[in-house]
Amino acid sequence: MDLKQLETQLSVLHEDTIKAIVAAGSLDALRHLESGVLGKTGTLGALLGTIKEYPPAERGKVGQTLNRAKTEMTKAFKEAEARIKAGAAAAESSKAATYDPSLPGRRLPLGTFHPVTIVQMQVEEVFRRLGFLVETGPEMETEHYNFEALNIPKLHPARDMQDTFWMTNGMLLRTHTSPVQVRAMERHGPPLRVIAPGRCFRYETIDASHENTFFQVEGLMIDRHISIANLIAMMKLLLREVFGRDLKVRLRPGYFPFVEPGFELDMSCLICDGDGCATCKRSGWIEVLPCGMVHPNVLRSGNIDPDEYTGFAFGLGLTRLAMMKFGVADIRGLNGGDLRSLVPASRLTGPTVSAKG
Amino acid sequence: MLISLNWIREFVDLPSDLSPKELADRFTLICAEVEDVTPIEVCADGLICAEITKLDAVEGRSDVRAAVMDIGGGKTVETVTAAPDLNVGDRVVFAPSGASVKALGAIKDSTVAGLKSSGMILPGDAVGIDMAAREAIFLPPSVQPGQPLESEVFDDWVIEVDNHSINHRPDLWGHYGIAREFAAIFGSPLKPYAVAELEELSDASLPEIPIEIDDADACPRYSGLRLKGLTNQPAPLWMQLRLGHVGLRPIDCLVDLTNYIMFELGQPMHAFDGDKVERIGVRAADAGTKFVTLDNVERTLPGGALMITTNGCEPIALAGIMGGAETEISEGTRTMLLESANFHPYVIRRCATHLGHRTDASARFEKSLDPNHTVLAIQRFVHLAAEEFADFALDSRLSDAYAKRLPDISVTIDPKFVARFMGHPVSREQITDILTRLEFKVSDAGEKLKVDVPSFRATRDIEIEADIIEEVARYVGYNNIEPGFPEVVVRALDSNPLQRIEREGLRAMVMSFGMTEVQDYIWYNSEWCNRLGYDPQNCLTLRNPAAAGMERLRQSLMPGMLSFGSQNRHHFSEFRMVQLGSAFPVDDPKICETRRLALLCGLRDKSAEDALLAELKGVIENWSWQVLDRPADFAAADANPARPWEHEHKTASIRIAGNAVGRVSAIPLALRQRMDEHLAAWSLVWAEFDLDPLANLGEHVEKLPPVPAFPEVDLDFSILVDASRRYTDVTETLSQFDDAILNRITFIESYEGKSVAAGKRALTLRARVGHKEKTLEESDLARFHESITTYLNGCNMELRGT
Ligand SMILES: [Zn+2]
Repeated sequence: MDLKQLETQLSVLHEDTIKAIVAAGSLDALRHLESGVLGKTGTLGALLGTIKEYPPAERGKVGQTLNRAKTEMTKAFKEAEARIKAGAAAAESSKAATYDPSLPGRRLPLGTFHPVTIVQMQVEEVFRRLGFLVETGPEMETEHYNFEALNIPKLHPARDMQDTFWMTNGMLLRTHTSPVQVRAMERHGPPLRVIAPGRCFRYETIDASHENTFFQVEGLMIDRHISIANLIAMMKLLLREVFGRDLKVRLRPGYFPFVEPGFELDMSCLICDGDGCATCKRSGWIEVLPCGMVHPNVLRSGNIDPDEYTGFAFGLGLTRLAMMKFGVADIRGLNGGDLRSLVPASRLTGPTVSAKG
Repeated sequence: MLISLNWIREFVDLPSDLSPKELADRFTLICAEVEDVTPIEVCADGLICAEITKLDAVEGRSDVRAAVMDIGGGKTVETVTAAPDLNVGDRVVFAPSGASVKALGAIKDSTVAGLKSSGMILPGDAVGIDMAAREAIFLPPSVQPGQPLESEVFDDWVIEVDNHSINHRPDLWGHYGIAREFAAIFGSPLKPYAVAELEELSDASLPEIPIEIDDADACPRYSGLRLKGLTNQPAPLWMQLRLGHVGLRPIDCLVDLTNYIMFELGQPMHAFDGDKVERIGVRAADAGTKFVTLDNVERTLPGGALMITTNGCEPIALAGIMGGAETEISEGTRTMLLESANFHPYVIRRCATHLGHRTDASARFEKSLDPNHTVLAIQRFVHLAAEEFADFALDSRLSDAYAKRLPDISVTIDPKFVARFMGHPVSREQITDILTRLEFKVSDAGEKLKVDVPSFRATRDIEIEADIIEEVARYVGYNNIEPGFPEVVVRALDSNPLQRIEREGLRAMVMSFGMTEVQDYIWYNSEWCNRLGYDPQNCLTLRNPAAAGMERLRQSLMPGMLSFGSQNRHHFSEFRMVQLGSAFPVDDPKICETRRLALLCGLRDKSAEDALLAELKGVIENWSWQVLDRPADFAAADANPARPWEHEHKTASIRIAGNAVGRVSAIPLALRQRMDEHLAAWSLVWAEFDLDPLANLGEHVEKLPPVPAFPEVDLDFSILVDASRRYTDVTETLSQFDDAILNRITFIESYEGKSVAAGKRALTLRARVGHKEKTLEESDLARFHESITTYLNGCNMELRGT
């Protein structure tokens, strides 16, 4: 083939190709066409392979002609590709015009913590920040840890206040988290800062505000010079962190055999702000935090020398705290499986459209 | 305990500018919690004493009688009264026409049952005494008809002190002790306690009561006195009113006097009929002894119960609890033997608890009373009784067997330590002043102070320096102590690994896997267990369960979870619950309490069981990665037929780091139907596993080597195995296979169905292959395929349709 023939052939090819490009409706068809023309074995591609068949003097010219054709067609393919993409994008966009961007999402199962766990984790977090260790102890306890080690000997009247679930094996269900005090002292020795949240049990009749199974968190801090002033500062801090604001508090004598002196810490009623209401029995105060300076006998039980160390301890009712926080009216719902009493309705169901109350 | 402020004012002048509420608040902040402050507002005006001179029935009416009342000055009025138990000659509190009390308004003349009625015999409840139906208030013979009754004694304020907050303070179980605190609070003097002089009671010409105490520990002191010239008459009005205000019903002068003194000093006394009791013995009863107490109940005594006996071994009282019916004083009693004793608190407590019979007296003895009060109470009794009984006289001298003396207690305190312990400056003088106000004796002991504890605080209450500091600190005022943060030693304590895994484990279940947390009681409910067809053996049991059928501590969290599932199927079409809690298995005697996670997922679609189970297993696998950095896998397990929630064919043991930690399974239809027939339409899957064996696994780090330089290729292949052959067998076999270009094999899916022959299962696996130094070529892949095919064939496994 001479140059002339080549030019004629190229011109036909160009014309055919442009027609085919215009006819191509999809990227796939275009790509197919492109490889049929420009690919190694394509129509133009094959011609490009024939350059070396021309006499050396013509090769420059032939190459020029072929490359020009290739550039033109490549450009045509590029333009066609852009046109098809733009068309598809416009079609997609116009199809999506009916989409409602305000529709809610499709939710994976939503987990929820038990109300008591929520306040427990908050309290733990506060104390972790203060360098307290979180400890645990068994729910089935020995008389030793639950009573004797806490300065409550057999037949002590204080055992009356702690109506106890007794086991036939001689053990008991702990009546408070205080046994962890002595366990922690034995485990770590002084100085010491721990809290111990956990489940406790009292043998009493249950009703809307009394449970035989409930949660407390015990706190204990022992060092060389712990004072009542330290106790007060830490308790105020605790309440501020838990309730998220400064609360008026008052400290008054309270009696617990494992502390001396013992205190009851009252905070101003959250409901009436101290004016007096049914919740606070018109006193304006709510008893939240029994606490005190660790009794020397308890330190001795934990192998700590009371002449060298002093400390304070406190107990906070987590179940009661949860009831206050979440407005739980009936304590019994917390030990039951009805999810409706544990999880806010808005978390239980799909996105709320309308709700009463 | 109820406290009458009128009574307190007899012993201390309270500041007049403080309201009763303010007085109570001060008391709460310094001494013990006041639960309530209540006024008694009788607003009596014009009440008088009147004597009944005539009493007639009213025709046609059994509920009222017509009484003629002597109202003094030779005048009588006729009144119609509903008061019971009246007799001619009784003197009563009377409201003549025109008198008034708040509860009834002004008393007017009226006509009752057709009779003219003038004035009114006042019922006790109109003046703040809680009496039986409309009972009158009787007056002693010293009050004359027509005598006006002072209106001030009727009005009072009553403060209620929380019993729990004074359990450790025997001195606060009487008005005198409370008054002592008020005196200290306001710095006003405590007035002396008016009593008969000891010499007066120790007349050597009078006989002594023989008292024998067998066990001085059980009865450290027994004091007694015989009295004569007594009559059956009412107590003085003021005494009746005070008793009424603190919740006691007036009976007659002798009983009221012992009650009155008990509520003043905390010291119980007992009055024996003087004609029936001669010698006194205090001894332990034999087990099974029967004894009729004065409430006419025959009681069977435990061995060691402390008895008061007379004439050898005739029991006359249950020491410290209640007297006997046989020797009780009666209307005709003219002489009596007054007992005022001190008993060991535990002896009384044990017996009262055993009998289930706690009385005002036993409750006080349980608190460790001051033995010095036995004689003081008798002195007080004589002082008050002598005023009331015209012919009152002693019939013995004060007889006092003080078998075991209360040791003197003194505590040495270091004022510098007191200040440091409080974290608040307090001077030696301030300490001395506070303690002296509370009747402690303080003397110098070099740098320190020696504090002698008064006997009424020395029985148990005050023993050590911290006890003394409490006295000082509460009077300094807890709310006056400036809060200050502690200076501490920094120390890294070993954290509690179980606590960490509990917290992280629960958090992952809720936050990552959409579980809702629930909590349950730790005991089984037998009724529910029966329903499940579950009869757990060898459970740890409670001696005093919350209710019958709740004795057994749970060995598994699952029965409770199933009950929750059954509840929630009413309200939801799906749920997924997690519980973290203790279980008490007894299979291993070394472990009696374990911490567990239990999961229950339900979906109202019975065909989804396998998919749901696969999903739950996936949760456990991912949980294990997230919390423990380790994989979990599952070994087919034989279901435990005793646990009906374990599916015969679908139960697997959960294995993590080589430990079989728990089970995962589906709830078989049989059990779903038993629980609740609606659950037949559901799929329920569960898992339960122990956290304890996982707590100490420690961190597990997987290194992150550089990504391969040459591309890796995934080759999926299916193996056809007998359906009975376990995945774990197949993987065990495959794990032995090695090839130069094999990097890992992973599980894709298991398939049984149309395209697989019956009794067979297709397991799809994915091999990831690659070469460290080159890009794999077709020939490499072909060679690998060949190699694995040969290997599988050698293991009797068939490569499917490739
Ligand atoms: Zn309030």
